[in-house]
Amino acid sequence: MMEALQFEFMQHAILAGILVSFAAGIIGSLIVVNRMVFLAGGIAHTSYGGIGLAVYFGLPIFLGASIFAVGAALLIAALTLKKRHRMDTFIGLIWAVGMAIGVIFVDLTPGYNVDLMSYLFGSILAVSSEDLYFMAGLLALILFIVTFWYRDILAISYDSEYAALRDVNVKFFYTLILVLSALTVVVAIKVVGLILVIAMLTIPVYIAEKLSNSLFSMMFISGSIATLFTLLGLWTSYTYNLTSGASIIIVSAVSLGIFLLFNKKVIL
Amino acid sequence: MSVVEITDLSFSYEKQTVLENIDLKVEEKDFLAIIGPNGGGKSTLLKLILGIYTPKKGNITVLGKMPKHSLTQIGYVPQNTNVNTDFPIKVIEVVMMGHVEGKRPLFGYGKHEELCALGALEKVGMDDYAQTKIGSLSGGQRQRVMIARALCTHPQILILDEPTSSIDITGQKEIYELLKTLNEHITIIVVSHDISVILEYANKATHINKTLSYHDISDKKQTFHTHGKDEHFCEIELLQMLGAENCDTCEEEIPTWRQKP
Repeated sequence: MMEALQFEFMQHAILAGILVSFAAGIIGSLIVVNRMVFLAGGIAHTSYGGIGLAVYFGLPIFLGASIFAVGAALLIAALTLKKRHRMDTFIGLIWAVGMAIGVIFVDLTPGYNVDLMSYLFGSILAVSSEDLYFMAGLLALILFIVTFWYRDILAISYDSEYAALRDVNVKFFYTLILVLSALTVVVAIKVVGLILVIAMLTIPVYIAEKLSNSLFSMMFISGSIATLFTLLGLWTSYTYNLTSGASIIIVSAVSLGIFLLFNKKVIL
Repeated sequence: MSVVEITDLSFSYEKQTVLENIDLKVEEKDFLAIIGPNGGGKSTLLKLILGIYTPKKGNITVLGKMPKHSLTQIGYVPQNTNVNTDFPIKVIEVVMMGHVEGKRPLFGYGKHEELCALGALEKVGMDDYAQTKIGSLSGGQRQRVMIARALCTHPQILILDEPTSSIDITGQKEIYELLKTLNEHITIIVVSHDISVILEYANKATHINKTLSYHDISDKKQTFHTHGKDEHFCEIELLQMLGAENCDTCEEEIPTWRQKP
């Protein structure tokens, strides 16, 4: 492993792993406490539409996917704020349509065969410097928003009805959380891929939830655990020559299993 | 001036009328109990007083203003505070949510807000638990925390929606004793299924089932009148039928009665 560290792609992979893990830990906490896991899954798959569009129009993939995912997040926010009880139907719909758009646009792109697998299962070993800037920028944005609006985000996550009575703009913060989720999902696609992104957003959070007594510590602990899993997964992937994204998820899942085994009391 | 004044109010969800021609006046330091069947409109009435809903017809004023403009004067304890118990949050943080936007520091909470929240916790006897995770409290303790959250803005009115529905009997008694103490300074409006509460603590009771009927039970003897004809069947009368006519004079008997399954 040590000799691998001198390669630039490996350094990039580790940096990307840390940046994305922290973003996923923070946003994953918000997704879990707000019971939005299915929403995040929908956004992740919908963003494939953005990848297809970016390929077709020759735009940077991150940019295309981000715009599309944020658009999907805004649409989902608008629909679910209006008809909360039909949320699952809308998400299922947007999920499928987004992916279909992606597939069609990749088909339409002449002479270019995009490697679908790298978006489905991640390509952490192919992170460019620009990708790293994007990831670092996003993490900075998330940190700023979460610190600045901590009390409002906490209030709407814990009890949105009461928050509304205290003059907190519930709709705004609900939408904001969804938009940040969309952006996080897009960068996590690079690391674990859009199919596995949900595991990255939930497994570390589930462990952190049991270990923390405030939302802030939950975010910090999830971020740290996610980083640990990502680096361990990366090492496993390198050592045994396995797909990196899948390795990260399996490492996470096995760790969760061990954690639950030794923490029966906490769970029950 | 009445604290809450409702005149000729009607409200409906889409086509279904929930409340019709409601008239109600709540005076300062009243302890008003709202009773009635499920779906009778009790919670809807609370939400109208809180300004979450706006009436289709009629008028509500709270402290002489529109409900929405009296937010800081009203403390609210919602129904069902047992949801979301996994949420990683400390008691003090829950209480601090009671503060209304306004003077706030750039990040997090101000010192005065924390002190104020601790004061509110002290009032409900939960100050020792300030740093505890909310999920590890009992139902009764959690309800006290929710009352502290409502007291955070030093309200003049405290509104509670079935505050004891998920608490054991000793816990219920403690909550009502607490409300009784708070009632020395604050007007209290409580929705409850618990009949004995009304007799022991409230000075007024209204029964809501689409329409409203009103009882002044500050002088409890007078409450036990026979109601006319086809009007609602009210819990107060039910109690009378159970043979509890003397319950205003025999304080010991009520707790025994309450403990029966």
